[in-house]
Amino acid sequence: MSEIQNPPVDRGQIERALARHKDRMKLYLSHCMHCTLCAESCFMYMSRDKDPQYMPSYKVINSVGVLYRKGPGIGRDDLQKMKGIVWRNCVLCTRCYCPVGVDVPAMIAFARGVLRSQGIHPDFDEQGAMESWL
Amino acid sequence: MGALYAFASGPGVYLAFALFLAGLVVQGLRFYKLTRAKDPLALPPPPAGVVPPASPPARGAGAKKPLLDRLLAAAEAMGRPFDRILGTLCRTVAATHPVMTMLTVTFHALLFATPILLLAHNVLLAESAGFHLPSLPDSVADVMTVLFLLCGAAFLYRRVFLRRVRAITTPYDHFVLVVTLLPFFTGFLAYHQIGEYRTMIALHVVSGEAMLVLVPFTRLGHALFFFLYRFLLDGEYSFGQGRRAF
Ligand code: HEM
Ligand code: HEM
Ligand code: SF4
Ligand code: SF4
Repeated sequence: MSEIQNPPVDRGQIERALARHKDRMKLYLSHCMHCTLCAESCFMYMSRDKDPQYMPSYKVINSVGVLYRKGPGIGRDDLQKMKGIVWRNCVLCTRCYCPVGVDVPAMIAFARGVLRSQGIHPDFDEQGAMESWL
Repeated sequence: MGALYAFASGPGVYLAFALFLAGLVVQGLRFYKLTRAKDPLALPPPPAGVVPPASPPARGAGAKKPLLDRLLAAAEAMGRPFDRILGTLCRTVAATHPVMTMLTVTFHALLFATPILLLAHNVLLAESAGFHLPSLPDSVADVMTVLFLLCGAAFLYRRVFLRRVRAITTPYDHFVLVVTLLPFFTGFLAYHQIGEYRTMIALHVVSGEAMLVLVPFTRLGHALFFFLYRFLLDGEYSFGQGRRAF
């Protein structure tokens, strides 16, 4: 892949994106008990044979969680993996329910914003059709 | 060991409680600074009867749940905020995970009730503060301790054997579980004089203090943040007035 299509992560840009809601996101990450009680409230999980990777908590831990664990030094391949998690595996319907109060949709929306800051988002294919997610 | 015990059972107790309380205050203030008053034009939370359902499968896909329906009816007959709290519980986690809900409610009730109503603790409290709370007979407290440890063992089982829980479990999850169980385990061993008593009671005091100090600053901070998130923060599942927003 060419450098134009796949430029390195813009460090300053992602630093700013990560700093914007850092305290709130880190509080949520810290207070998610990893209990999986939110799983059944997500229709994606229910309609994918209860595959754990569709659990709301799995999705935030593997997007926002990874973003802060790896920090601005994160690689582009990590961000590409996250794209599927936050656009394909979650449709941001906001129906999930967490007993502790972790705001999963806010976290997914935040991760989408960070990815967008690096030019990563659902795109059009060569035929000009919107990338298919489902 | 002797010097450590002397410190832990003397000034250490005051230090632990001071750090615990100060930590809770600091975290509470931090939350307040991070949030702002909710937009006065924003909608208030829905009234009690219309708890927004989590997506449909959460009710258990049409399964009959007579006990839960009775609880729900009883909840709705109570006033705010119980109708909302119990009603939300019945429509969400109690419907999808009845066993886990019972376990975690038992676990958390015992977590608070046992040490507060323990005779040995109240004797120490009376000696140092001049007042004490009502106490349970030792035999009852002992059964509560065992029940608590069993709930903890069930959580550990989930973490190790259930695929979905394992998928997101990290060493940190085991750490907070151990931190929570240790004061109960060592208290139990000391009470039954299993192992060397002096060592056991030293371990008990140190582990109890460690738990207190860690609560405000770790994942155990959910004890405070549960109330901030679910009562103070605006949101459709809010149990309270929801006057704050991020
Ligand atoms: C912080 C200072 C603490 C001190 C000085 C202290 C002291 C004691 C003492 C003297 C006993 C009685 C042992 C016996 O009967 O010989 C005891 C038992 C016990 N403690 Fe603590 N404790 C502390 C913190 C905690 C905490 C934070 C917890 C739990 C959250 C806890 C839970 C228990 C339990 C459950 C027992 C009784 C176990 C049983 O009877 O089976 N303690 N503690
Ligand atoms: C009133 C305050 C509290 C509330 C409302 C609360 C609520 C919750 C909820 C909803 C969960 C997730 C369900 C579960 O995994 O059991 C949880 C988990 C847990 N809580 Fe609390 N909690 C409170 C206080 C505490 C305190 C003070 C501690 C320990 C010092 C504690 C220790 C734990 C542990 C260890 C877990 C994880 C269990 C597991 O590994 O699955 N909680 N809590
Ligand atoms: S998001 Fe909430 S319900 Fe889901 S695992 Fe985390 S604490 Fe549990
Ligand atoms: S917002 Fe995402 S995680 Fe939450 S229920 Fe909808 S699809 Fe599932």
